[in-house]
Amino acid sequence: MKKLIYFLLSLVITSPAMAEVSIFACEPEWAALSRQLGGDKVTVFSATTGLQDPHYIQARPSLISKARRADLLICTGAGLEAAWLPLLQRKSGNPAIQEGASGYFMASNYVRLSDIPTSLDRSQGHVHAAGNPHIQTSPLNIMQVAKALSQRLQDIDSANADFYQQRGDDFTQRWQAAITKWQQQAAQLKGLPVVVQHNSWSYLFDWLKLKKVAVLEAKPGVPPTINDLNKVLNQLKKTPAKLVIHAAYQPSRATDWLVGKTNITKVTLPFTVGGNKQSTDLFSLFDNTIQLLVDATK
Amino acid sequence: MKKSPLALLMAVTFASSAVFADDISILKKELAQIRADYEDRITQLEQRLAYAEKEAKVVQTEIAAVKATPPQRAQRNNSFNPAISMVLNGQFSDYRRDANAYELNGFNLQGEGGLATEGFSLSESEITMSASIDQLLFGQSTIALHDDTGTTEVGIEEAFIETLGLRNGLTVRAGRFYSPMGYLNEKHIHAWNFADAPLIYRGLFGNQLTTDGIKLSYLLPTEQYIELGGTVGSGGQHPSAGNHSGIGDWLIYAKTGGDIGINHSWQASVSYWQASPEDREYGGGHNHGGGILDPVLFNGDTDISNISLIYKWAPNGNFRQRNFTLLGEYFYLNEEGSLNNSIEFATYDGKQYGGFIEGLYQFTPQWRTGLRYDRLGSKLRASDNELLTDADLDFSGYHPQRYSLMLEWLPSEFSRIRAQINHDKSSRDDDTQLFLQYTVSIGAHGAHSF
Repeated sequence: MKKLIYFLLSLVITSPAMAEVSIFACEPEWAALSRQLGGDKVTVFSATTGLQDPHYIQARPSLISKARRADLLICTGAGLEAAWLPLLQRKSGNPAIQEGASGYFMASNYVRLSDIPTSLDRSQGHVHAAGNPHIQTSPLNIMQVAKALSQRLQDIDSANADFYQQRGDDFTQRWQAAITKWQQQAAQLKGLPVVVQHNSWSYLFDWLKLKKVAVLEAKPGVPPTINDLNKVLNQLKKTPAKLVIHAAYQPSRATDWLVGKTNITKVTLPFTVGGNKQSTDLFSLFDNTIQLLVDATK
Repeated sequence: MKKSPLALLMAVTFASSAVFADDISILKKELAQIRADYEDRITQLEQRLAYAEKEAKVVQTEIAAVKATPPQRAQRNNSFNPAISMVLNGQFSDYRRDANAYELNGFNLQGEGGLATEGFSLSESEITMSASIDQLLFGQSTIALHDDTGTTEVGIEEAFIETLGLRNGLTVRAGRFYSPMGYLNEKHIHAWNFADAPLIYRGLFGNQLTTDGIKLSYLLPTEQYIELGGTVGSGGQHPSAGNHSGIGDWLIYAKTGGDIGINHSWQASVSYWQASPEDREYGGGHNHGGGILDPVLFNGDTDISNISLIYKWAPNGNFRQRNFTLLGEYFYLNEEGSLNNSIEFATYDGKQYGGFIEGLYQFTPQWRTGLRYDRLGSKLRASDNELLTDADLDFSGYHPQRYSLMLEWLPSEFSRIRAQINHDKSSRDDDTQLFLQYTVSIGAHGAHSF
């Protein structure tokens, strides 16, 4: 009888297991990372796709209603979402995702940003005061973010802390092995001179030791003029490059122009998860990126 | 019978060995070759393994290096300063008819409702400041400066505080703010899509409706975006008027919206506003005898209903490259009360309505074009038509219309050069209007609201 009472009491007292943590990811790479680290304990929504320019998103009604129900906001930060994220936060009426709250996670806070401008002036184009926000192009950065994010999940959903810990460790192990593999595959790319359309690849190049010879956009975010492109062309006569790289979400007009003028090889990289058909998660994103680079140099 | 397959196999083997006996030396050679090949491969594999191990160590150290360098943080004294931005505007306007004779038939032009000054003019310059106030509140203020016949006027367009993530989708705002009525009304004029206001905004609100009061909004926890809310205000903002103790005007609204696939998104809203204006002044009045201004005044009840629809399209949802927007709004004002001046009095029943539809196509990141059509109507009844005439209210039931075409060049997201041409039939005298306008924003990065 006593046992039965305890049993019934435990039924009443035990709160129902916390519902899945609802994650609002600003970019698909963080959605993919959340899935890796959270498994079936989280539901993940990505505010953007791999074919959208994350600088220029509108605070659409659908995003507001998603933000209202989010437990955790995962974004790049560093000004990348400055044009739309603050509006979503304000309109959401959701205390969990306000700046400084436990559900506010900015990935760029956990890595060292490069390309921090020495002077800030809009005549220089769309400059990011905090540094280059495109941190997902290096798996080393993702490793750092993964550690912090796993910890954050453990804090938010402490009932499942062990689960996140174990999943985080598992991911770290697989990710390290993958990085080693990618570095081997890309060993031949070391020192390869390349041209980029937008300065989106700093972290990738730092990692694989590629050499950026020129940027087609004379000023970030401003479509290059024919003058800008001719300057690049002249520069390439002195310091030739093997590849010109552009991200899947960007229009390839400037890149195509250069390809038409020189015998440079064009490579369209996915840039993030969903940037092309092959890049379905973080692992395949880098598998595909490196394969595209290696294939292009053959 | 069981032995027979084995026997057969042996027979074949011996037979073949007998047949290829001469080739044994060749086989041996091949075997040796294969062995050598394997040894080579094994050495290669060993080398790769060693390399991999080395690489793994390199990765570990690289990760450690990334971790060891702390993220850089800017430390400045002005870090807590609010986000400040300023919008600068200038334009050149050309009208075929006299701008001072402009009339919008069936409506009375109030506030900034008239045409912009002909020739070169500095239209509104705005300074906006915003910041989180503390853990609970956000504050924003917009100060507008504009020239009015030789003097510079300073106006407070907006000045409000708002809760930051109150909870459960609730948000409270207090102060002066653009009333949540319609779509364009909540945006700053410089963010509108044409150089001048839609005729219905001009006719009903003197360009824009503001509330001095409190706004409460509630965002439903549904997949579909649904927002319900309301405001209560002082009742001092046109088309309301006068001093009211307590609640002078109120408004309720509902908004919903969502995405259709990845390429399309939409939003629809309805709203209803109510006020009881006291002594709303019309026109500026007419002179009676000795040059004394004797304005016509309205007292009574006014309500306005609105419905707005907006649809946006962008390939892959990537607004940066190409996008199309279709926006339509309709307003219906209904009022009952009295008109009077110092000597006359009349009962009055007025209905003023109309809307606009506009389509905007951004065909490259730096170019955008748009087309807009306005149409209004009115039904004004007074027991003494002379007062309507004195109030500059045309009661003939004429339908003002306007067609506008604009082209924009957007060098960056902070600047815009716009050319616009109107065929304007606000009154029976058709007009052709031309605008060349620049609008730039300096300072903090503005937000892209839907």
